[in-house]
Amino acid sequence: MPDITLTVNGVTRTGSPEARKTLADFLRDDLSLTGTHLGCEHGVCGACTVILDGRAVRSCLMLAVQAAGSDVTTIEGLGPDGELGELQQAMWDSHSFQCGFCTPGMVMQAAAFLGDHPEAGEPEIREALSGNICRCTGYQSIIDGVLLAVERIREGSARETA
Amino acid sequence: MTAIAAERYTGASIKRSEDPRILTGAGRYVDDIKLPGMLHAAFVRSPMAHARVLSVDASAARELPGVVAAYTGAELEAMTVPGPDALMALMGWQGPTPQFTLLATDKVRFAGDPVAVVIAESRYLAEDGCELVAVEYEDLPPVVTAAFALDPASPPVFANLGDNIARTHSRNEFGDVAATFEAADRVFETHIDVHRHQNVPMEGRGIVASYDRDSGSMTVYAATQSVHVSKIAVAMRLGMEQDKVRVLAGDIGGSFGLKIGASREELAVAAASRDLGRPVKWVEDRGENLTTSGQAREESFDVRAAVSNDGDLLGMDVKMVIDTGAYPGMGAMVPDIVQAMFPGPYKMAALGFESTGAITNKCCYVAYRGPWASETFVRERFLDLIAKDLGADPLELRLRNVAPLTDPPAVMVTGRPLVGVTTQESLQRIAQLVDFPAFRRRQAEALERGVYLGIGVATFIEAAPGPREPGGPSGPMGIETMRLRLEEDGIVVLFTGQMPHGQSHQTTLAQIAADEFGVPFEQVRVVVGDSDVVPFGLTGGSRSATMTGGVALHGARQLKARVIDVASHLMEASAQDLEITDGQVLVRGDPASGIPVGEVARRAASGEFGADVDASLEVIAQFDGGEGGWSGGSHCAIVEVDTETGIVKVERYVVAEDCGALINPAVVEGQIRGGVAQGIGAVLLERSAYDEDGNCQSATFMDYLLPTACDVPRIEIEHLETVPLDADVNFRGVGEGGMIVAPPTLVNAIEDALSPFGVRIYEQHLPPARILELIAEVDAKD
Repeated sequence: MPDITLTVNGVTRTGSPEARKTLADFLRDDLSLTGTHLGCEHGVCGACTVILDGRAVRSCLMLAVQAAGSDVTTIEGLGPDGELGELQQAMWDSHSFQCGFCTPGMVMQAAAFLGDHPEAGEPEIREALSGNICRCTGYQSIIDGVLLAVERIREGSARETA
Repeated sequence: MTAIAAERYTGASIKRSEDPRILTGAGRYVDDIKLPGMLHAAFVRSPMAHARVLSVDASAARELPGVVAAYTGAELEAMTVPGPDALMALMGWQGPTPQFTLLATDKVRFAGDPVAVVIAESRYLAEDGCELVAVEYEDLPPVVTAAFALDPASPPVFANLGDNIARTHSRNEFGDVAATFEAADRVFETHIDVHRHQNVPMEGRGIVASYDRDSGSMTVYAATQSVHVSKIAVAMRLGMEQDKVRVLAGDIGGSFGLKIGASREELAVAAASRDLGRPVKWVEDRGENLTTSGQAREESFDVRAAVSNDGDLLGMDVKMVIDTGAYPGMGAMVPDIVQAMFPGPYKMAALGFESTGAITNKCCYVAYRGPWASETFVRERFLDLIAKDLGADPLELRLRNVAPLTDPPAVMVTGRPLVGVTTQESLQRIAQLVDFPAFRRRQAEALERGVYLGIGVATFIEAAPGPREPGGPSGPMGIETMRLRLEEDGIVVLFTGQMPHGQSHQTTLAQIAADEFGVPFEQVRVVVGDSDVVPFGLTGGSRSATMTGGVALHGARQLKARVIDVASHLMEASAQDLEITDGQVLVRGDPASGIPVGEVARRAASGEFGADVDASLEVIAQFDGGEGGWSGGSHCAIVEVDTETGIVKVERYVVAEDCGALINPAVVEGQIRGGVAQGIGAVLLERSAYDEDGNCQSATFMDYLLPTACDVPRIEIEHLETVPLDADVNFRGVGEGGMIVAPPTLVNAIEDALSPFGVRIYEQHLPPARILELIAEVDAKD
């Protein structure tokens, strides 16, 4: 079995996953990072979304060995020291989620999108999250959470410029 | 955690205490459980809908390195106790009861029926092992439709029944049906179908079963709506004493009715763990979820309505057929609820109701959010069809026929009083929120541009919990029990049998108890998910708001009285003069007198008060629902139908609802929006489809389409002022209403949009292709 080295949540990790093992299973089983969830294992629901080299990817569609040398961020590493980051805080404040199963993927997808589009509006956010399925909420509370994060980011940068 | 400032927590959108763990990946779902020596299960499943099993050979699988065991149906049967479906047994079902085994032995009865289970060191290896299990089948004619199942010539799916009747035909009459129809000016008649769809929680079924040979006890980590129902099911099928089975549940990734008790696969995994003396995990993949976990609805109705020329709905006569799939459980029981609810909030004076259940070679019927919802769909759809024929406005027709609030209340022809029902008010509120005349003008202008807009309204009530029957011995939903304890550090702990899977009980129950007891919200903890410590309970049927909210209120009141009694000895004050505010027991009006509740608990535990004082600061409270009451509301949708592509866009969606007093408005609104989203999915996207051989055609998320953030509009919600019925507890259930009433609301709007074509709709599933067909069918007739 090949040895791989990658960076996960800022920490260098090594492992020897079977060639057929998905990145999602590697994160969950080998690294015990169970925050990444598996909702369909065929790339549709987005629950397993992680950020890999700055881009949102579906860890169920990628093999662990393909992630060798990459920089991966999972939900556990999004906020400082497992605390809530700005986006997560906005989602808490907005009652964004219910059962929490789609949450890691939805948050990582939104985080990756906001990284590139910090001033996005509702239509763009809906489009960006349309590949992540939530069965509980009807999405409105999730969209509201992302919009609140956008507003706070804008206010934050306005304060910095002032 | 920062303290939350609020006069009262109850009624405020307190932020959920579940969220910090969920938002940081620290939730603990069943697939996150990892035990030392844990093995993994995978199932060999039938590729055929109906076939005899001639042989199962698992020897090659057993030889694969990493495979620890493989069990055929016959081997597993020898390890378990035969019996009916646990849920049917618990609910006292008296009708036809098919006999079957956990894994198929003699026959497979739907495509996906489990035939063998392979246990290995990893899921990957277990699936490799499944590939090596050789099964020989002999094809039998598949029974794919209810119509064929009810044909005596169809081959019986279960030998012990001899036919495919899951529910024997019955007819009941309420009021004088024959006379009502004879006296009516007009009799309308139609046939309405509801298609097969399903729960699809984002987390499928799953279990980790861990048997300990030394103690002879089983610990089950489950995704379940009730740890106790799961415990009973495991004990029954494994022939164990119930106290030897402990069921634990952590976070659960949704359910919507799917995860009640333990499924055949979960029981098989528990049996394997006992046989091997090692923990075994099985988490279904999405293919298994979509094809084998359970499906719902697929009912057809022949309906007649007796109506006066003025538009008075005098009575209805209904014939219902339900397709329960193979391995019937809940499905056979649903028609009784459909019958009871069919009149809804309407004044009709007669109802005839016939029903039959059919067993088919499809995935089995399970409860899905408002299992009886077809009564609302059929009634509200039929009313719009009738309004068209009468030339009446659908909203006016409803307002004319719903029972207004009266004292004494109107009584449903099927028996229950419509006490406190605000249907009329919710319809009127919809008419205020949506400017119908302005819409009709806009609709006409749009039509000139070739744009098809439509508006639809529908209304519903739900017995959540339902009214107390006058003079009835118990409440409408039985009894709810809660254990409450004051810890020595001042934390108030609630032990509940509710098993939240998205409903936010750890927040909402703490809000109620914090207010009633007099401590900050952060000082209340809600313990769920351990059958050894929580009382019996089940999250389902929209029961928790009234029943568990109510028992939290009454339990906190009892515990508070106990604490005040102990404190009265401690403070040498009369109990009547004491109160608990912000976690301090104090003499009313004297803030300086306060001592923390935790100190009272410490002193109580010290034994200093002797035997004369009941110093146990733990109570077991029960609540029977009080005066109960109805939930309900009216919904309105405005849609645009693209007649070139068949795509329906929901432009606006408005809800006027009454679920009693709100515990947490954000939680309530989340339940409504989520239910409406599922209703939108049911109409525009979702269908569990089978081909004529009984192959499931919707086995992936590219075939079973769920609504996305681009499909669900903003949903506007108005809360109506409720009619209080009980002195203390007027919270009512809100989990199911959105899913119950959204489908007729949308279909009514779609038919309205297509009215220039003369389209009439008698079904619920309207994906783009079907919209185009409906238009073409009318064109062809012309």
